[in-house]
Amino acid sequence: MTSISGILEKEKTEIKVYEPKPYSNPYLAGVGLGLVLLAAFLIMGRGLGASGAPSSVIAVVVNKVAPDHAANNNFYKEYIGDGTANPLKDWLVFEVIGVAIGGFISGSLAHRIKGKVEKGPNVSVKMRLTYAFIGGSLMGFGAKLARGCTSGQALTGGAMLNLGSWAFMFAVFGGGYLAAYFFRRQWL
Amino acid sequence: MMPYYKFNYFGLDTSLVIAVIIGIGFGFALERGGFGNARILAAQFYFYNMRVLKVMFTAIVTAMLGLFYFTWIGWLDLSLVYTIDTYIIPQIVGGLILGIGFVIGGYCPGTSIVSAATGRYDGMMYFAGMFFGIFVFGEMFPWLENFYNSTPMGRVTLPDFLGLSYGLVVFLVVAMALGAFAAAEWGEKVRFKITGRIKE
Amino acid sequence: MKNYLLNLSTPKKLAALAGFLAIFALVIGNSGSKNKISVNAKELALSAIKDQDKISAMTLADWIIKDKLDFTLVDLRSEKEFTEYTIPGSVNVRMEDLLNSDLKRNQKLLLFGNDDISSAQAWFILKSSGYDGVYILNGGLNSWKNEILYPKRNVNLTLEDSIKFEKIKQVSIHFGGNPQVRISESTSDAAITTSHKIAPPLPKITIPAGTNKKKKEGC
Repeated sequence: MTSISGILEKEKTEIKVYEPKPYSNPYLAGVGLGLVLLAAFLIMGRGLGASGAPSSVIAVVVNKVAPDHAANNNFYKEYIGDGTANPLKDWLVFEVIGVAIGGFISGSLAHRIKGKVEKGPNVSVKMRLTYAFIGGSLMGFGAKLARGCTSGQALTGGAMLNLGSWAFMFAVFGGGYLAAYFFRRQWL
Repeated sequence: MMPYYKFNYFGLDTSLVIAVIIGIGFGFALERGGFGNARILAAQFYFYNMRVLKVMFTAIVTAMLGLFYFTWIGWLDLSLVYTIDTYIIPQIVGGLILGIGFVIGGYCPGTSIVSAATGRYDGMMYFAGMFFGIFVFGEMFPWLENFYNSTPMGRVTLPDFLGLSYGLVVFLVVAMALGAFAAAEWGEKVRFKITGRIKE
Repeated sequence: MKNYLLNLSTPKKLAALAGFLAIFALVIGNSGSKNKISVNAKELALSAIKDQDKISAMTLADWIIKDKLDFTLVDLRSEKEFTEYTIPGSVNVRMEDLLNSDLKRNQKLLLFGNDDISSAQAWFILKSSGYDGVYILNGGLNSWKNEILYPKRNVNLTLEDSIKFEKIKQVSIHFGGNPQVRISESTSDAAITTSHKIAPPLPKITIPAGTNKKKKEGC
């Protein structure tokens, strides 16, 4: 496995002796994820999300750089709000910070923290990173068009039996399977 | 009565603390499920590893059953749980774009955060790409706005849409999920026999 | 059988549990326990005695004028009566539709009918189905009419009283009412009947709907 290691490698010398543990049983992880989602429903009356947080950040930055431009755009306006509250003091922004912390804790406990690039054997690191950026851009665009990403739509809306979210979910898998053939070199 | 926040059991500041705690649980569960690894996520689309399907549908089924029974007992007012309104065509088109992005990038927004937090450079790159994509969407929004707001259907759930009882739809979803799990387990076994390739 | 279940792998146990819950859900059908009510009789009785849930017409008028109203006004009368006249900003919900209406359990609701009876009944139904803030307009629409729209004063009254009346008059005019001087019992009845005739075309007052504007909660 090629990996552009080095940066994180140094401080890892101690725990490097440990092999990364295998991922947990998918069904147990699923139940755990479902219970977290349920907790969000019961306590907050809302589901989980991810892409809303970057949207808030972008809206704030655009608003700082070009306030007039942002004011003429309903998309940014929605995230900036009416100015009474700080747009970054937002539930999703804090939730996403938690996601990073939670991922790090879980990864540390299982010795899975490692600076590397996940990719198939037949693709260069540079190519993989380029693809990651392109994929991320498409995902960001698509998520905004669909009013939510896999967390906000598929997971949350799926559990709520929301019509649009189920249509969305099938579209995601449809799009994925359609495109899979063309990008097989990257993964297989 | 639940949801607590909607009945003002606590204020905004407390809700943000809860956001971080729930986020930690979310990130933890995603990482445990193997969602911090692009190869596992992408394997779903090549039928090598059906983890994505298993974790996601188990989570949906768990939360869905929870919602159903909490409502039935009378502890939860489901109408106060926020759901995104349906705009069917933009959601399908967005979903297709998102699915293509999934295969190219190997992550979805939530999993890329976990991946980046566990040191994966491709996850960080993906996360950066997502900012760029959202920015492009924001800049194009004046042109997209009409399409974005087309085919509005309001808050509509599968039971409403199909004219079936809530319990029946819950039953059907669970039946579908269990069927999909059985198929996935079987498929993975067959695949392993043919290729000898071990799933992660 | 028991051993068989215990020997199953964890995923299979989970699957069995999900399957059981799904079948039970199928039997239940609709989970919304909308027609089922559980009552904590003592708690309800106590809050009924305390009178905290009643709001006078004058207080309501004051809130509306100062734009401080954070209640949803619920008119329980028939649609016909509702279209004829209602307190500005009210929604019309009939008693039988109460639990299937758009009213949210976390909204503050102020109920009124013509008198106190229908609103008291509705108060009980809503309270016992988990609605949090349910209030009654004291005296219903009748006292709204008498106190706000067509307040009357006796011919001879103290200075203090007349100052008070001047205030009420302002309020009344705000709502398009018709304050008048009461001369005798018989004409006061007449005044009420005429007041029906001149049931004023009401100034449209827009009241911020229920809670403040929500930011998008989605992802």
